[in-house]
Amino acid sequence: MTEALLRVDELRVRFPSDTGIATAVDGVSFTLTPGELLCIVGESGCGKSVTALSVMGLLARPPAMLDGRIRFEGRDLLSMPPRELADLRGDRLAMIFQEPMTSLNPAFTIGSQLCEVLVRHRDMSTAQARAAAIDMLRQVRIPAPEQRIDEFPHRLSGGMRQRVMIAMALLCRPALLIADEPTTALDVTIQAQVLELMRSLRSQTRTAIMLITHDLGVVAEMADRVLVMYAGQVVEQASVAQIFAMPQHPYTVGLLGAIPALAGRRERLAAIDGLVPAPTAQPPGCRFAPRCPFADMRCRSEAPPLSEVQDGHWSRCWKAPLEQLAESLLQPAQTPEPQG
Amino acid sequence: MSPVGNPDLRKHATGDTPVLDAVNLVKHFPVQQGLFGGSAALVKAVDGVSFAVRAGETFAIVGESGCGKSTVARLVTRLIEPTAGSLRLHGQDLLQADGARLRSLRGRLQMIFQDPYGSLNPRMTVGDMIAEPLMLHRVVPAAQRGTRVCELLDVVGLRAEAATRYAHEFSGGQRQRIAIARALAAQPELIVCDEPVSALDVSIQAQILNLLADLQRQFGLAYLFISHDLAVVRQVADSLGVMYLGRIVETGPSAQLFRTPRHPYTQALLSAVPVPAPGARAQTTALAGDVPSPLAPPTGCHFHTRCPHAIERCRSETPSLQATPDGGMVACLRWQQLPLPRDETRAPAPNPALARLQAAFAAPSGLKSDRIV
Repeated sequence: MTEALLRVDELRVRFPSDTGIATAVDGVSFTLTPGELLCIVGESGCGKSVTALSVMGLLARPPAMLDGRIRFEGRDLLSMPPRELADLRGDRLAMIFQEPMTSLNPAFTIGSQLCEVLVRHRDMSTAQARAAAIDMLRQVRIPAPEQRIDEFPHRLSGGMRQRVMIAMALLCRPALLIADEPTTALDVTIQAQVLELMRSLRSQTRTAIMLITHDLGVVAEMADRVLVMYAGQVVEQASVAQIFAMPQHPYTVGLLGAIPALAGRRERLAAIDGLVPAPTAQPPGCRFAPRCPFADMRCRSEAPPLSEVQDGHWSRCWKAPLEQLAESLLQPAQTPEPQG
Repeated sequence: MSPVGNPDLRKHATGDTPVLDAVNLVKHFPVQQGLFGGSAALVKAVDGVSFAVRAGETFAIVGESGCGKSTVARLVTRLIEPTAGSLRLHGQDLLQADGARLRSLRGRLQMIFQDPYGSLNPRMTVGDMIAEPLMLHRVVPAAQRGTRVCELLDVVGLRAEAATRYAHEFSGGQRQRIAIARALAAQPELIVCDEPVSALDVSIQAQILNLLADLQRQFGLAYLFISHDLAVVRQVADSLGVMYLGRIVETGPSAQLFRTPRHPYTQALLSAVPVPAPGARAQTTALAGDVPSPLAPPTGCHFHTRCPHAIERCRSETPSLQATPDGGMVACLRWQQLPLPRDETRAPAPNPALARLQAAFAAPSGLKSDRIV
């Protein structure tokens, strides 16, 4: 196995709030190897974006309280002085966000924003930087980059802006690109273009990508490995093939069943009843137990550990492997009561 | 009596008259150009759109941003006035109605929006908000309003206690349930749903889609469902229209349209949707370029600038909707010459063990366990 590029160990992020300490991320561990594409999936409030911001060092401390370790290329990011971290960001580590308009400065041309990165990290002259920026715009397939470079962000469409963001992130050939819902704000035909672009750039540059999304369709098309998060914890981790063939956590089972399928109408979607627990008041046992149709006494009182069910397939569920659970559903007497 | 079903209205619903009949709807918005408002340009947001919604059925309009689908929703509810065209609710002219007549027609036609928080009054209790249409449309005598509010909350899967609370105390999915209860209060026959689940997480989206399906079955409601999400439309729609730059380019029964899409735009849209099954989709870039500005749409067929099959004629000649052998209509000059997309079995056969587990989630009895505490 190759040396890990990024190793996150027992990351915990807490924020003070009116109703107590909110634990947004609670003991998250994962690794990323060079060139790998890891998807982090989960719904609002599961901690996926906070995890990404922690890696980028973009959470203000205080109020955020971070514990655990984040090692990137062998260096500890959490204890790194801010100056060194600033040298890393935009160079070895880059990030793109959901809404490109709010991440681009409306008062500067895209050219000056792109060149700034190269002048800051690569010590280039303005002329060199401009040439490199035009070249990068061409690589992200912006038509007529020589003219476009002098445009202001508001003159570009949403898909174009996201391309500019990707160009900016890739200017210094980062080892790791974090993309937080990069296509969520885009129309489906434009999303297809941007995903295709990310795929081809990855195969050219061998940049590792941490892709944060709520869309399991995007996961299936992009990921090598998948991390499913729920209520601040990793509940399942596996290769993309494993997770779609047979998920090993009931939350993932529910999520997959909740997506309407293009191939045909389902009688009923697998709605997951109830709501995500508040980050200040997590249930005592398994955090998913109150919404899980399979939960029993043990699930409600004892928190399950993340354990390896099959080779490389990890799940935080007492009932895993779920094949046995599915088998038990076949026996007529044991139709599970939806929990009350 | 059920909280929604009104026997008088149900009578109308039988027979062949569609609940809603829109013919040649047109909406042009003038746009000021230049700093001093010189020559006004026209955005043809909706440019001759016709469709019918039948009782107990769902007609969906699907398209990307700027195609005019939300403008159609606003025209149908008369939140804005059309430039031309006709709109009939059970054969009665919606556009000529005003005053009391319009108010009574509006009771039969309700709307829910994408952002439930933006459409709920933050200063009113949930109970008062649901009681308002009861009062306005004189649905029940004043003395029974409280009971009716509780019934409506029950129907959408909320506890009666919700009535005394405010919208901000609820999550997004619960707010959408409140908006649905409020829409149901007026005993409508048609609910216009404008992107009702786009702001919700997948698991909550499924709850709301299941709820809408249950309500439709229970009360014989018709839905005009506006969405950008093709998978959601596949789930809810009986028939649909695909819009591009203000025009319907293809329409037909849902099962047929998803199996044999005829218009190159529909084909491209369908092939662009990521499928939640690794390796299921042929990963070809669907379409190049962006949607052109609606201020200056391309001549002829609006889609010719992005269409892989466009020929010279497409630049000059505007295609009209023509019937296809499988019961739909398509607006493309070349549809008869175009190959149908290979019927990729896009979703592999589901793992039986997984399907059994998912069935436990789908159990209808689960619907009401979302009661708020």
